[in-house]
Amino acid sequence: MRKSTQRSFTWRSITQSRLFFPLVALSLILLFDFIFIPGFFSIENRGGNLHGSLIDIFRNGSTVMLLAIGMTLVIATGGVDLSVGATMAIAASVAGILMNPSALRNEVFFVTDPTYTFQPLWVVIVSALLISILCGAWNGVLVAYMRIQPMVATLILMISGRGIAQLITNGLRVQITYKPYAFIGQGWIILPFSLYIVAFLFILTWFLTRKTAIGMFIESVGINFRSSYFSGIDEKKIKLLVYTFCGFCAGIAGLVASSNVRTSDASNIGLTTELDAILAVVIGGTAMSGGRFSLLASMIGALVMQAITQSMYAIGVPAFALQAIKAVVVIFVILLFSEQVRNFVQRISTRKKEV
Amino acid sequence: MLRPIGNFFSKNRNYIPVLATAFLALAAYGIGAYFFVGMRNPQVFFNLFRNSSFLLISGIGMTLVILTGGIDLSVSGVVALTTVTSAVLLREGWNPWGVILLVLAMGMTLGTIMGSFIVYLKVQPFIATLAGMWFARGMCFFISDNVVAIDDRIFQILGKTKILIPGLTELAIKQGNPAPYISIPVVVAFALLIIVIYVAHYTRLGRTIYAIGGNEGRNEQSARLMGLPVERTKMFVYTFNGFCSALAGLSFSLFVASGHGLYASGFELDVIASVVMGGTMLTGGAGYVFGTFFGVLVLAVTQALIQFIGTLSSWWTKIVIGVLTLVFIGVQTILANRKEGRQVTHALSPVRYRQRIIAFGMAALALIGIVFFSRFGSASQTETTANASCEIKPFREAEVARLITEGAAIVYNRTAGPQCVDELFAIYPDGRVTGNDGVNSVEQKVDPVEVEQALVQISDEYQWFTDAIYGRYLTPCRQCFAHYVSISYQGQEKTVSQVDGTASMPAGYTLTLAVIRSLLPEINPAP
Repeated sequence: MRKSTQRSFTWRSITQSRLFFPLVALSLILLFDFIFIPGFFSIENRGGNLHGSLIDIFRNGSTVMLLAIGMTLVIATGGVDLSVGATMAIAASVAGILMNPSALRNEVFFVTDPTYTFQPLWVVIVSALLISILCGAWNGVLVAYMRIQPMVATLILMISGRGIAQLITNGLRVQITYKPYAFIGQGWIILPFSLYIVAFLFILTWFLTRKTAIGMFIESVGINFRSSYFSGIDEKKIKLLVYTFCGFCAGIAGLVASSNVRTSDASNIGLTTELDAILAVVIGGTAMSGGRFSLLASMIGALVMQAITQSMYAIGVPAFALQAIKAVVVIFVILLFSEQVRNFVQRISTRKKEV
Repeated sequence: MLRPIGNFFSKNRNYIPVLATAFLALAAYGIGAYFFVGMRNPQVFFNLFRNSSFLLISGIGMTLVILTGGIDLSVSGVVALTTVTSAVLLREGWNPWGVILLVLAMGMTLGTIMGSFIVYLKVQPFIATLAGMWFARGMCFFISDNVVAIDDRIFQILGKTKILIPGLTELAIKQGNPAPYISIPVVVAFALLIIVIYVAHYTRLGRTIYAIGGNEGRNEQSARLMGLPVERTKMFVYTFNGFCSALAGLSFSLFVASGHGLYASGFELDVIASVVMGGTMLTGGAGYVFGTFFGVLVLAVTQALIQFIGTLSSWWTKIVIGVLTLVFIGVQTILANRKEGRQVTHALSPVRYRQRIIAFGMAALALIGIVFFSRFGSASQTETTANASCEIKPFREAEVARLITEGAAIVYNRTAGPQCVDELFAIYPDGRVTGNDGVNSVEQKVDPVEVEQALVQISDEYQWFTDAIYGRYLTPCRQCFAHYVSISYQGQEKTVSQVDGTASMPAGYTLTLAVIRSLLPEINPAP
């Protein structure tokens, strides 16, 4: 066994690895940064904590990385979840309103005391996560049991979710001043605290999908749900599970995002992040039609997206105009993955051999 | 007695979603007219079309795309890009007809590019058009960062011409109402609707579109084997949708008389929701173009109802649209399963399916009823104020003048907008900020240094006290705010009123508003 793995560690096996392409993309972007942005790689030590542009990529990318974990599993079953952004907003609204319920009383009431909270932290976090799990389960039921197309089923929550979030906060931006909550997105223990959350969730998910049979079930449902059903896999339960898990991930991402900006802004938190998350998974090489997936590759995909954003900010592209550049990069990446291009490359290489 | 009705429905199963939507739209309008006297005014009914002409135009194109089993998320981006491009080109003094042709060509080009990605490079429609949306929105900000006003004569004529309804004019004048009218974009939208209905149902092209999308979008292969021009048709559909998006963008820019890159965000969701509510299957191959018309109508009536009820906040629109989409998708799914069930399993008898549909419909109606009537108790009591609340309130000029004499440095009165706000803020040199909207009041303390900085910026940088800042009042459009700002600084005093968009707002005025707004607290909306 060991011998064979050693032997397969050749140039070809590297290029065929799922991680190869996302890593190349990431290193190309970092190379660009290295040449054009002086000081991009410098990391300073401020009171034992590390700061710098590279760390910022990880810190700002943590939301998309969290979403990408859940989204990878959903896409692996051949579905897609468009509602993660709305779920983030709902989780953030629940958390915000539990810490500062003044908005419900329809009065402007600015809390400035960093130790004030209406409910203890664990109640805040657990209830926000429970609500987001509920959102995920709702999607799962629609997709698995009502047999509605995933894109359509999750579109419903995408449309109405933001309305629900605004309903919860009474349409106000709830300010969050409670210090321990702010630590989730802004705290540092040598590295940003949100990174530890990402790492924990990643390891947990990796363990569950690769060390138990769940991962294989998910892939098999994604490849052919009918034959999985006939081979004894309860595909409905698997689908329900992945959508629920995706909702859970979105809930955590909502907590991180809201604590990062210290407000729970129902109309802006997680806006268009669902697209970032989907593209992160696609860059990571998981096919939209489902099947084999790689969590690590999706993580790198999320970092690619964030690295593009970060380096464009660094060279001074305005935030909104950035979307155009992102679009070009995305199309470029997707084209590289497309069968046409692959066939083209293969044809060229075979022709060379003939010559 | 139920049997003939049941037979009728099972024979015309395909029409059920469309009929349901049409019924829902008319019923909702009827309920509204019953509760609110204002809604009986025929102009309110025609305003439904005036306010959603761009939605209808875009929905028509989207219906064709969805019929082929694809989707186009780029519409909102193309709409925004159209508004910005036309506004900037008109500012540069281009010929307005040239601008219109150019942006239509631009929309078609974008559609063609996305279409070729989808058709020839086999990129998923979802992803290709998503990238298209990002690209279009990003390009808006490369062209212009700020709101650009449109004050071209031709555009104003196109946007403001009133087309009277023949036959209704005399009737309305007899009743003492102004004659009801529609606008040119509405006529364009209806013309487009008729053309596309003809194309979709009576031409070879239309049949091909249905054939490609049939069988839940899996029919492409069989359409190709039948010798149908699959590639060419799909290219046509995406190009046509690009054209529709650009046309919708033009109609939108006539409506708001300005262009900006953040306009129409989330518009694609409204479009998709109205197509789905119109009974078109998102999987492709089934649906009617005129269904989309009723879908748009449902959306417009929902918005109008929420505006009339007045106590419901704007986010209820999103929730109601979400619920309605769910209901219609649910009905579609049951119908689709029923079709499949008959052919394959016979697991449930048709009777039980019918029972299921009835149960589902009842549940849906109950849900909508709960959503609306849970709020109606309070709504009917405050009906008079609710009706009055969407009349634009006049500026409180006397109060503003009084506050200035009492020592306020900046007094800011904002009215109109989608919810007809009436907010008045006063900022004092000592950092005190007070505000009220006639019902609630609020007070806040800011750093006096910030107030001083803002005043310096407004008077020096934005030249508030020079002729560069002038006032011109026009009636605000439905989405625009009217501002009345009075500033007193170092012995100088000047009051300027302006309306978003409709007049060409001096740039300094916009920036002044931004500076002032950063100092203001939020007044909670009335409960």
